Amino acid sequence: MIVKSSIARSPTRSAASGLLASAAVALSLACSNAHAATTIEFVQWWAPELPEGSFREIMDEFEAQNPDIEVELVSGPYSAIRDQIVVGAATGTLSDVVGLDGAWVNDLARQGAIASLDELMNTNDFGREQVADIIQVDGSSYMFPVASFVYPMFVNLDMVEQAGIEALPTNRTEFIEAARALTDASSNRYGWVLPLSLQSPNGIQNDVMSWVWASGDSMMADGKPDLTNDDVVETLKFIQTMYDEGLISPGSFAKKEQDKVEEFVNGRVGMMVSTLAHINMIRERNPDLNFTITDFPSKDGYEGPKGLPYASWGIGVSESSEHKEEAWKLVSYLMSAEVNSRLVSIANAFPGNTQATPDFVVSDELFGKGFEIFKAGYLANEFTGLPVAEELMRLLDVEIQKMLEGDQTAEEAAANAQAKWQEKF
Amino acid sequence: MPGTRRQRSGRRWDLPTVLTYLALLVGAIFAGFPVLWMLVSSVKSNTEIFASPPTLLPETFTIEAYTHIFGDAEKMRFFFNSYLVAGAVTLLTLLVAILGGYTFSRHSFRFKKPLSLFIISTQTVPPITLLIPYFGIVVAFGLYDTYLALILTYMVFTLPYAILMMTGYFNTLPRELDEAVLMDGGSSFTALWRVIVPVSIPGIVATGVYTFLLAWNEFLFALTLTKSMDMRTVPIGIQLLMGQHAYEWNEMMAMSVLGSLPILVLYLCVQRYFLSGMTAGSLKD
Amino acid sequence: MSVVGHDRVLADSAKGTAFQRLVSYRTRRLLAPYLYLAPTLALLLVLMLFPMAVVLYYATLDNVIMNRSPVFVGLANFKAIFLDETFRISIGNTLYFTTMSVVFHLGLGLGFALLLDSRRINPIVRAVFRVIYILPWLFTAVIIAIVWRLLLDPSGVVNAVLVTLGITDTNIEWFSSSDTAIHALTFVNIWAGYPLFMVSLLAGLQGVPDSLYEAASIDGANEFQKLRYITIPHLMPIIVSIALLDFIWTMQVFPLVWLTTGGGPIHATEMISTYTYKLAFTRYEFSLASASAVVMLLFSLVGAFFYLRYQKVRD
Repeated sequence: MIVKSSIARSPTRSAASGLLASAAVALSLACSNAHAATTIEFVQWWAPELPEGSFREIMDEFEAQNPDIEVELVSGPYSAIRDQIVVGAATGTLSDVVGLDGAWVNDLARQGAIASLDELMNTNDFGREQVADIIQVDGSSYMFPVASFVYPMFVNLDMVEQAGIEALPTNRTEFIEAARALTDASSNRYGWVLPLSLQSPNGIQNDVMSWVWASGDSMMADGKPDLTNDDVVETLKFIQTMYDEGLISPGSFAKKEQDKVEEFVNGRVGMMVSTLAHINMIRERNPDLNFTITDFPSKDGYEGPKGLPYASWGIGVSESSEHKEEAWKLVSYLMSAEVNSRLVSIANAFPGNTQATPDFVVSDELFGKGFEIFKAGYLANEFTGLPVAEELMRLLDVEIQKMLEGDQTAEEAAANAQAKWQEKF
Repeated sequence: MPGTRRQRSGRRWDLPTVLTYLALLVGAIFAGFPVLWMLVSSVKSNTEIFASPPTLLPETFTIEAYTHIFGDAEKMRFFFNSYLVAGAVTLLTLLVAILGGYTFSRHSFRFKKPLSLFIISTQTVPPITLLIPYFGIVVAFGLYDTYLALILTYMVFTLPYAILMMTGYFNTLPRELDEAVLMDGGSSFTALWRVIVPVSIPGIVATGVYTFLLAWNEFLFALTLTKSMDMRTVPIGIQLLMGQHAYEWNEMMAMSVLGSLPILVLYLCVQRYFLSGMTAGSLKD
Repeated sequence: MSVVGHDRVLADSAKGTAFQRLVSYRTRRLLAPYLYLAPTLALLLVLMLFPMAVVLYYATLDNVIMNRSPVFVGLANFKAIFLDETFRISIGNTLYFTTMSVVFHLGLGLGFALLLDSRRINPIVRAVFRVIYILPWLFTAVIIAIVWRLLLDPSGVVNAVLVTLGITDTNIEWFSSSDTAIHALTFVNIWAGYPLFMVSLLAGLQGVPDSLYEAASIDGANEFQKLRYITIPHLMPIIVSIALLDFIWTMQVFPLVWLTTGGGPIHATEMISTYTYKLAFTRYEFSLASASAVVMLLFSLVGAFFYLRYQKVRD
């Protein structure tokens, strides 16, 4: 952009206008350099799971606010994303911003795939208290949960009514009794469903360990495995009892979360532990299904706050990224109260920002209930941040399968799993 | 059954014929029932897919799965990519494999056995362990997220098979065929293309069909070697429908059905090449 | 075994292209096979030699990817995996799965090919069934796993049919029970893989000269004798080639196993491939996984060795 001056006639004036012209050129050049866009990549599995185009819209809004950054979304199937992250990090092609699951953080941090967020937080004056739960490994922060999917107990009200159950179970004894009343093998109806597939063993986290956490207990002690404690063994026995009495829908050993919900939708299962994200899905799939969510039953006599299992959409930054500052901008954007609220509203999840409130908790009765349960308890997922978390789940899964088949007792299962877990620490 | 190759003017319904038809029927149920189930599921609602007792005729007939796919340009692009890559791989692999198979079948040379072993050995390492170093090479060549990466990769997977098959087919052809050409002053190269290949059409087509399908159905390398949505292929598209919490069952089935239809049509077209005989003058179908 | 007429014809030729006159006939004859193989070798050497060598190298280090400064440990990884009971179980499962698969692939493939080739059936019927029989081939592993999990679900259609027909009175947990899981899985793999043999053998059957069958008929041979003495010997090269490939491929089958049972229940369907995957991507033991891969390579090379011996005998 050249400033044409029609004023310059005298030497001083022409010198002055010449200087002005060059200054203008220099300024415009500087501005255009600042507008050269940096492209950052974001690898995640969220875009395909959200309503068509909605995630891209959020990215577009980010780009509008940050004109020198362009975001390229790399979407993959959830089941394969972790492997892609590992491979990407190993070959130096990992995207700048990384979608994470809490179970992967420890190993990815050890691999050097994801960067510590502490420095970025300090440099950018990021208030840590706004994040619900920063995942750390060895004292360094690696992941923020952007959206959390909590797992309360779903109950089929029609089946409950038919079985003559008066009140929803609040503790384990009531739960087993309800399951007994609900089970009728001849008409293919069962009280409970338990997914123990070894391929994706998060049934251990959501459907087994959740019983321990709901009673305020723990499977760890001082950061080390403690599976042989009474709480865990009692939980295993509880599950064994239900299995032996035939209260659990058959096919547990090959069942996954995605199969479990379909059985519930078809009215074959009375109660199931599942994610709040399923509320809308169930309504869509079977509008006639009369169901509700309830607090997780704790062990008899426990009145304290209940740990609620959860899975989150986490976010981190790649260690090998050349655009860490820009990546951080996207991270903090998604964690900011307003954007976070919007994102979790369309994802039907709970926010990672402590100030954010999804709109559905006000507008929807079931979600409102879920939010109350969430507020009354605490987020509990002891697998987050553990080394080889998925392998730990799998090892325990194998022992539980042996136990349920009758090859060993609950104590032995716990002891075997404990031994195998300890090797990993 | 072999031995009754001359065409009959009328069919006799004797016991062997009845048994043949019966066997065909049982085989068809074995082969086709799961595919039928897939087809039926693609027009059911997601809920009904898991209904018990299972329903053969959909109670909730819906084409929502298909409309979702057709209405989504991204998903349609998956089909395009898959066909492009699979087609290119098939043509190139067949060309290269015909050459390789011919030399293994007809020539003897010093490094024949070691080279044969090397070619086979590339098949023996599990892809999952090869993934990281292989991906490293692709990136180093600047081929990340390109069609060429997929084409070359699938050629690497299909060539050993194709060469082995071509060697096998060529080995069933007597050397007299080659010699006829050579006596007339042609080279072995001429012998290959003028005589051997035309007679081997059934084998070539069979190999081509499998090469196509292998490139078409592959998932792991397609996922790793591509990153932008407009380079992804159908198997990835199907897995994208497998969400973290729930699957879009009917859409997955529909995508699979849609993907296989053109291949089926292609197969129908090339089927008759399975019938071309070696010796001219023998009347088959 | 050189092609017979070649020497006489070309050695006599005084004419020829400049290339042919420049490069001696002998050299050309020596080079020719390598030229035929050049594109193949170029591709395989460039793209595969390095990764394969890297895998072999990784197998001798204590750990890679996770470990910035790996240390050479020789054969320690091999020792470690052979000491692992799960690995030994997986070898047994893999051998069973592979052998049964290849045998039935061959049996069904040959059977269907013969059926389809039969002159007793109407051409239109033949065309229709030829399409139906190839169907299992058209689908990617994910879909095959999903569809069969649906079919074999305890509340699924297979159980419904079995119960209605009175073959069994309870719903069988096909993939969830240690007793049935591996057989169900093998059955699914047989279903998914027989078209390979069928199509290849069907093509091969076209090459069997009618004259042989006619001569045999005149000699009074029945159907089975023709099958045994004419058809099968003629198809042998193809059978052997495909059997070898099928053996190698089936040993490595991963997505189908992983997506149906994940190696379970307990370790009933644990294969070397699932074991290797878990080593790499859930235990992050990439060197152990490489060692496991080398073991698979050695197993496969055994099969390849037999194939090459067979080829040599033919030559």
